[in-house]
Amino acid sequence: MSRRIAIVEDDPAIRANYAEALRKHGFDVSAYGARAEALAAMRARLPDLAVIDIGLGGDADAGFELCRELRALSASLPIIFLTARDSDFDVVSGLRLGADDYLTKDVSLPHLLARIAALFRRAELQSEPGAQEDTLERGDLALDLKRFSIAWRGQSVPLTLTEFWMVHALARHPGHVKSREQLMREANLVVDDGTVTSHVKRIRRKFQGVDPGFEHIETAYGMGYRWKE
Amino acid sequence: MEGVGRRFALGLRAQLALVALALLALPWAGVSFVNELERTLLAGQERALLATARAVATALHDRPQLLAAAPARDDAVRREAELELQRIAQSEGRLPQAAIAQLPLEREAELAARKAQEEIGAILRGVQRTESRLWVVNRRYQVLALEGSLRRATPAPESGALRSAWRRVAGWVIDRPSEDFAESVPDDVLAAGRDIASALQGTPGTRTRRTPDGRTVVISAAHPIWNGNEVAGAVVVEETTNPIASLRSDALERLLLLTLAAFAGAAAILIGFATRLSQRIRRLRDEAESAIDARGRLARVAAGSDAGDEIGDLSRSISAMLARLAQHHVYLESMAGRLSHELRTPIAVVRSSLENLKLAATPEESRTYVARAEEGLARLNTILQRMSEATRLEQALRTAERERYDLGAVVRGCVEGYRLAYAATPIVLEAPARALEVSGSPDLGAQLLDKLVENAVEFSPAGEAVHVRLQEQGRYALLAVQNKGPALPAQMRARLFESMVSVRETRAGAAPHLGLGLYVARLIAEFHGGAIEAADTAGGDGVVLRVHLPLAR
Repeated sequence: MSRRIAIVEDDPAIRANYAEALRKHGFDVSAYGARAEALAAMRARLPDLAVIDIGLGGDADAGFELCRELRALSASLPIIFLTARDSDFDVVSGLRLGADDYLTKDVSLPHLLARIAALFRRAELQSEPGAQEDTLERGDLALDLKRFSIAWRGQSVPLTLTEFWMVHALARHPGHVKSREQLMREANLVVDDGTVTSHVKRIRRKFQGVDPGFEHIETAYGMGYRWKE
Repeated sequence: MEGVGRRFALGLRAQLALVALALLALPWAGVSFVNELERTLLAGQERALLATARAVATALHDRPQLLAAAPARDDAVRREAELELQRIAQSEGRLPQAAIAQLPLEREAELAARKAQEEIGAILRGVQRTESRLWVVNRRYQVLALEGSLRRATPAPESGALRSAWRRVAGWVIDRPSEDFAESVPDDVLAAGRDIASALQGTPGTRTRRTPDGRTVVISAAHPIWNGNEVAGAVVVEETTNPIASLRSDALERLLLLTLAAFAGAAAILIGFATRLSQRIRRLRDEAESAIDARGRLARVAAGSDAGDEIGDLSRSISAMLARLAQHHVYLESMAGRLSHELRTPIAVVRSSLENLKLAATPEESRTYVARAEEGLARLNTILQRMSEATRLEQALRTAERERYDLGAVVRGCVEGYRLAYAATPIVLEAPARALEVSGSPDLGAQLLDKLVENAVEFSPAGEAVHVRLQEQGRYALLAVQNKGPALPAQMRARLFESMVSVRETRAGAAPHLGLGLYVARLIAEFHGGAIEAADTAGGDGVVLRVHLPLAR
């Protein structure tokens, strides 16, 4: 049975393009142009993954509302924001509402597909514990490369997929400086320096939420970041 | 046009002073009024004299024996007058020769004459006033009696040094009537005396004349004395116009004093008012001129903004204009960001379409075009990212947290990175070993240095070093990035740090340049409470950008 993906996007051309590209990759895609229509359809039958734009029609924040409503319907449904809005504020708001990832429309289709695949994998593995594990350990840090989850001193750190890939890129070679470009590449992200900076800030904050004394991601000014053991 | 305006420019004060000259009409009107009053008073005096003359004449009507008598009193004035009178009258043929022959009188007649004269004198004294002279003339132009003097009692000397000083000053402008005049009855009084002549013809008459020395004016009125149906003589009453003239002088003096005082008062008020007005306007002008600072930031105009008058209006409309200008400015500054945002969706359409096209089985030929289209799309994307960089930074600055950090460590780290990134350009660093702590965000500080160095490297000729210098300067950390290269165009120097201002010539194939780099640098410098400036180097063969950031205490 093919996986069902719901796309909520108000621009018909983009909607059709993404829908067709995903169909070509074997997904069962339903596309919606408005929030009410999408919500009604998803209430009737929950998709396996939802890709949502934030601004829908005249309502600039309809996507946020939709995300909250979907999260209420299902705690485990993977949700991706795909939007033209790239301010830190929007990113933070989207992720706080329980979205699994936040992508701007700069993202290329292969990158989008990679994320969708990763999210499906994570959802799948989370639903079947006891599966074979593929982990990377760096001191107190443990990365589960299959579930895309990270634990610090045994406690799970709630990272998005982008953030997971960034930590993974840093922790794989401790002490080596990763430039912002390298981090972007590893996280399948096409953004600018400023966004990498704010991503790193968010990652630090999430680790500090688990361990207030966390200081293992170091800034090498002018060059990038490195994992310090 | 401005030059012409400046050449003939008068300040507000000078203009008001000119306008105040219109006040001169007031003393002129006052003088006219005083003159009119004087004329009325003189006419009144004339009538009063005529009335006196009539009264005396009435007392002498039908008493021929009084007038027949020859005068005996040896009054020098009278005699002189009489002689002259007769001489002139004779030469004009008015007096019969016989009359002179009859002059010698007999003793009895002389006695009778004296009696008659005493009687006339008594009558004259009865009606005489202090300042008038009365005389009676018979048909033969003999002055039968003369009483009184034209002179007034000498006026009491003025009291008060101030008042007399003022009198002396006013005397330059206003003539005061003099009591020092020739009192004698001159030749022409009787000779050309139309009043007397007409009285002797039977009609009362008046006349105004000057005294022989010309010092004062005398009004005389003559009334005939009737003896039955024939004229027996005439009564003449004379008075100087001195009382009226001195009234007029007093009025004019007071008018002069009042005018001077009013002028002084009005001038003081007008000058004060004009000074205040021009001060307010000057303040408004100064504020309006400095409302747009060197970096194009707009301030409000505060001068007179709560005043209710036209200057307040002007101030408010300048403020409103500046506010609209500031809105426009903000709109322009944010336009890059909004434009990039708006362009995202159509670009996503193009991108996803191209990617779908690639997924579809397409002939080799179309793949080439798809590749070129993707290349163009990538360039377009870079432009969009740069365009939104400033907007994103502005948003980031609003939420950024401040911390103390060592600027020296950031600069040293960054320069390490630049040496890798810009291998073709040597980068020389001069920084103190000790920590220079500033308050802000280290990431933003690094971004600021990124922009400055990126800019310097792009302008620097190949092989020339870029100098990065960090030093402590008083309470500031001074960060300077210097490169060799063309000097700054003078007209661009102040606008260099504005959004979308670039001094660069567009080169084909080069990375797109939107003039946002130094704008971003400025935003970060301001976030740190500092300032940024650009200057040519001393030798004129390069440019130095200096950032002053206050040290954290």
